[in-house]
Amino acid sequence: MNKSRQRITNFLYNMLSLGVVMFLWYLLSNWQNSPYFPRLSEIWNAFVTLAQYGDIEGIFLSEHIWASLIRIFAGFAVACAIGIPLGLAMGLWPKLYYRTRSVIEPIRFIPPLAWIPIAIVFMVGFNRYVFLIWLGAFFPIFITTLLSVTRVNPVHVNVAKVFGASRMYIIRKIVLPSVLPDIATGMRVGLGVAWMCILAAEMIGGEMIGVGRLILKYAELLRMSEILVGMVIIGVIGFIMNEIFIMVENYVFRWRSEVSID
Amino acid sequence: MSEHLLDVHVTKRFGNMTVLNDVRFHVDKNEFLVIVGPTSCGKTTLANIISGIDTAYDGTVQLQGQTVNPKVHNISYVFQEPSCIPWYTMLQDVTMGPIIKGMDPSRAEEIGRRCIKLVDMAGFENYYPRQLSGGMQQRVAIARAYATSPDLLVMDEPFGHLDAQTRYLMQIEIMRIWHEDKKTVVFITNNIEEAVYVGSRILVLSRLPATIKDEHIIDLPYPRDLTDAEFLRIREAITLQCEAVD
Repeated sequence: MNKSRQRITNFLYNMLSLGVVMFLWYLLSNWQNSPYFPRLSEIWNAFVTLAQYGDIEGIFLSEHIWASLIRIFAGFAVACAIGIPLGLAMGLWPKLYYRTRSVIEPIRFIPPLAWIPIAIVFMVGFNRYVFLIWLGAFFPIFITTLLSVTRVNPVHVNVAKVFGASRMYIIRKIVLPSVLPDIATGMRVGLGVAWMCILAAEMIGGEMIGVGRLILKYAELLRMSEILVGMVIIGVIGFIMNEIFIMVENYVFRWRSEVSID
Repeated sequence: MSEHLLDVHVTKRFGNMTVLNDVRFHVDKNEFLVIVGPTSCGKTTLANIISGIDTAYDGTVQLQGQTVNPKVHNISYVFQEPSCIPWYTMLQDVTMGPIIKGMDPSRAEEIGRRCIKLVDMAGFENYYPRQLSGGMQQRVAIARAYATSPDLLVMDEPFGHLDAQTRYLMQIEIMRIWHEDKKTVVFITNNIEEAVYVGSRILVLSRLPATIKDEHIIDLPYPRDLTDAEFLRIREAITLQCEAVD
């Protein structure tokens, strides 16, 4: 089967899966007939209202999305700016890692939610968001970079070495191109985790704006429709960003034989 | 200074296991020296040592009268494993050596194209390794090794990963290339027929810890006839040496 036909088939099946889920939701919500299980039409109406008239405080949906996006990109950018160089450095000089791992590794397992009190005590404003999102995005990026450096094919390094290449040449022309696809994968995972941290971040951010905040606001009011709108928006935006990322990856790393699936 | 191009006298240990035990030989200019030995007898270790990648050994490796060093000497190495750089097109891969050695890119490209022609791969300059078959990739590796016009060309079981048919064609090919552009070659293999087909001199390595068991000078004219009586006799003799338990 050729590629474009396969793409169309995949697309149609995706539409079908989506349709099945919506249909099941339709059946269940009709059967339940409860305000805590909103119908599709109610969710749609909540979406339209939030988009057109804003939430209970008059903040438009687009403003919520924009605020969250900026926070996520800020946290993600800091995570990349620290995670990639640190991963590279520790991969190239493994002693750095082996002598500090008792500090680094345990931090990895502390959930971002557990950092909330510290963030509240030590930080204010925008920094709180950035800090919590950074925590989530940092480790996938850092760890994949670090592991990738240690997995550079030694034959490729030796090819350059036999020609008398300097260490700088080997790092620039062999190690970096070899680890870039993995770094991209780490970034993609990190971006996903960043989105997952948005709720925790906006829980303590203090401002009434952001998609996570929107969910929290309506959670207090037990308004399921608006909550679901917020959830779906986080999911869909994350999905779109992931798709864009994959497209860029496939273009940049077209020398690769294996194409990532997820 | 010795009159040989390469003088090797090494012992190599991994922990308390001796891999190469007092291996001593020399290589002359434009010689096609083959080192043959059973699998896992330290052949790759030896290749890494004489090409200057592995420096943790006892003894001496002197190339042109100086301890071997890739930053000083002009060495090329055709690896056993597929070694094409996945993110380089064939042309980028082949010009890598000359560029590392400081040649200007346009001159390097000119040489690269010539070497690609030498291995009969013209037309594939802009292909990535994943678009090429294993045999073609090994041709790229040979072209890359030739591009720096090395004083010493080390080949470590260069056809080991290829199927029998391709391997045979590559043996013919490597001899054609060598005759077209003579280099000093150290060719390592575990295939005795291949050894007798390509080598002007053959060293037979023993099992671990490897020592040099014997030396054969092959006076047969190139291209060699695999069914020639003398060819078969030498092949037989080396086979016996490789099988012998000592």
